[in-house]
Formats: sequence, C-alpha cells, structure tokens
Amino acid sequence: MTKRVVSFRLGDHEVDVLVSPLTTLQTVLRYQLGETSVKEGCRQGGCGSCTVLVDGEPTPSCLLPVEDVAGHRVETVATMTPGDGLDPVQQAFIDHLGFQCGYCTPGMVVIARALLAREPAPTRERIAEAISGNVCRCTGYEPILDAIEAAAASPGTAGASAPAVRGSAGLAHEAAGAAEATR
Amino acid sequence: MTVLEYLQPESLDEAIALLGRHGADLLVMAGGTVAMPLVNEGISLPERVMGLRRAGLDHIARRDGELRIGATATLGRVLEAAIDASDVPLLADAIRSTGSWAVRNLGTIGGNLFTPPPGGDVAVALLALGARVRLAGPGGERDIALEDFFTGYLATALAPDELVAEVIVPLNARRAAFRKLGRKAANTPAVVTVAITLRQDDGRTHDARIALGAVGPHPFRATAAEAALEGRALDGATIEAAARAAAEASRPVDDPIASAWYRRRMVEVIVRRVLESLA
Repeated sequence: MTKRVVSFRLGDHEVDVLVSPLTTLQTVLRYQLGETSVKEGCRQGGCGSCTVLVDGEPTPSCLLPVEDVAGHRVETVATMTPGDGLDPVQQAFIDHLGFQCGYCTPGMVVIARALLAREPAPTRERIAEAISGNVCRCTGYEPILDAIEAAAASPGTAGASAPAVRGSAGLAHEAAGAAEATR
Repeated sequence: MTVLEYLQPESLDEAIALLGRHGADLLVMAGGTVAMPLVNEGISLPERVMGLRRAGLDHIARRDGELRIGATATLGRVLEAAIDASDVPLLADAIRSTGSWAVRNLGTIGGNLFTPPPGGDVAVALLALGARVRLAGPGGERDIALEDFFTGYLATALAPDELVAEVIVPLNARRAAFRKLGRKAANTPAVVTVAITLRQDDGRTHDARIALGAVGPHPFRATAAEAALEGRALDGATIEAAARAAAEASRPVDDPIASAWYRRRMVEVIVRRVLESLA
C-alpha cells in the first residue's frame, strides 16, 4: 500500500495531503485538515451531514475518494463563512431556530447556499426537495424551511456564494494539479 | 483489510487493460454511490479499486437520432441535458426521482444499471425508451439491448473483462409517462417504478413498452401487459387488462420499504394511472 500526496483547493487555500488509497474526502477534511464542520454521519451518502461543495456542486464527501478531488476546489460551511461574521443563510438559521443539536446544520447551510446561488427565490416545495438528502432528527424541518425562505428574501443572499456554472466540467475532467499529485 | 491501490485510468483502453490485469479481484467504481457505502461499512473489502471518473467516459452527445451518454456521466449532468428535451421524455423525471441532489452529483448513468432494486429507477426509464448499452472489452465493443443486459439479481450480461462504456437512447417523440411510488415525495426508495412509452395511430396503441422497477430482481418489461394494449384503444377495459397483466408479471419481495403483497397491488394501480394519463 503506497500513500500518495493529493493536492486540491480548500476555500482559497491550496492544500496537500498524504493519504492511503481510497481515503474519503470527508475523512481528510475532518480528521486531517481539522474541518470539523464536516460531520461524519451515515457514511452511506444518505444523511447529508458531510455535504460540501466540489467545484460548486453539493457532494456527499463520504462517498468521494479524495484522490478524485485532486486539482478541484472544495468548500465547506467554514470556508464559506465571511471573516467578519455570518452570511444571511447562517443568520436566518439562528433567527428561525433552524437547528437544535446542530449536527445537520453545516450540511443544511451548504445545500441551502448552493440552492439559493442557483435559484434566488425557490418555492417551499423546491426547498424541501433540495434538502431531501439532508436528515434532521430535531426540528421536524419546518424551522429549516422557514430559515431558507427567509434567507432567500434577505438582501445580499444572491451574491453570497458564487454560483457554479451549470453543466460545469465536474470531477471527471482532470485539472493540472491531479497528475502532479500522483507522481 | 486495507485497500492496497486506487487505480484511476485516464482512458477506456487503460481501464480495460487494468481490468484484464487484475480480473475479478478489482472493484470497478463509477460514481461510488453503491460501492463506497459497502467499502465504508466493511461489507466489501477490496484490495484494489478502479475509479472511472477520469477515464473520459462522461460525454453527453446527440448524434444520428440518438442521445449517447458516456457511462460515467453523472445523473446531475444528464438531468441538465434532458430537462428541456422533448425528444428524450421520462429521463428527467426518472433522474429527479432518484437519490438526493448531492448523490445525483456523484451517481452515474452507467452505475445506475448496477444498482440493485429497489434502486435503479433511471434504468426503468431507459428500458421504456428502448435504450441499448455499449460494452467495451479487450476484443472491441458490442451493443446489447438494455432488456438483454439484465440477467438476474445483481447479474448482467457483462463479461468479466468488459466495462459499460455508453448508454444509447433513441430520440423520438413517442408518448411517454413515468411514475415512481415511494413513501416520501422525494429522495425515496421505490415501492414500484413504472415507465411507459407507446405510439398511437388513429386512436389505437402500438409498440407499447411497459417497464417496471423494484418489483423483480432487476428492471424488466411487462411484455404480456404490452401485448394487451397492441392495436387497441386506450379505454378503461384495455387499461385494466394491461394493469392486471403487469401485476401478474411482477416478482416483488418483502423489504423494509414495502411488502411483496403491497408492491404487487401497487403495480396494478400505478400502471393503470400511468396509462390513464396517456389516454
């Protein structure tokens, strides 16, 4: 078993990590890079608590070998948080009691921001569909839907996250960093 | 056991060569939405895993009256391609009903063919659309109709040295409808999935394709139900006969989602409703 150096972008920073084969992005983010906002939940892609953005697309980081992320850009709720406070989605979760234990919150905020970056004024049904992969066992979801609706109506939300280009290249297209990292 | 090696071939040829070298010991993975949960849980303990994300198999192209979808094109990207395409019905509905948004960003069209029931909803739509699968091996490529690809529970016509390279969907404007019954409105395993396409001439139905999912060992066509529609008007009695034939063709099992008894009842109900929507 040969460990390998993988390089990718985490928020605005280039990171290099030394990993065993098939280590997941979730494991690397939480346990190697200290990104504790990325929770370890079901490890089946079923709970959404490890949701991050890869090239702007919401992704269950527990199902993605970090070797496939080489050369790509990863964002977590922590890297998306402004340096001087909270963004409107985060503030709306507080204002509307959109969490209790908080375990699902980072994934919820990530997917909510991804939704609002694409659809600035989603219907409540559309929001429910978008967060249907993010499990919350505390709130009964209604306060979360309230929060995301309020964030959508809040000034400043639309520009809060740079929207990904629809149909963007995705993970399949290797970026320059990937080949180097595997040598 | 530890994974010794994660192989990331950068072409189809390289992937086929690696498969030939490592054989059955190699776990082949596309989006990872089926394989990675098994690996994470320790249910699958592969020494070597081959990921196809960089193998150049993610194209989505229209050519010669067909939509050609590379095996590793994600469901999210296929959804974007199909969402406004009137000559590719069903596909957008089927993909929207599959998994969550984030899971669809990893799951692939080729991988969906290997997703055991009650998963594999996209494959049900592909069956009704008359799709075929392009398989690639050391000896070259061969095409196979999707209904011949499935041979049993977790069993396909894929040879041990072959990979699924492409899914090919004929473009046409046949009448079509899709309905998945689950226990939630979204991101839910199927009780039953129904996809139907047909042609109508002078009020008579021809060449119906009725595909069912989650009610057998793999997605399948209910051919007796199709025959019940041939040459007839889509009236109440004809629809009833086809719906009953579809239920009789089903081989559902009990699982945590639904009982076999309920599934069979729902085949009849959902096939009837889908046909009524086409009448």
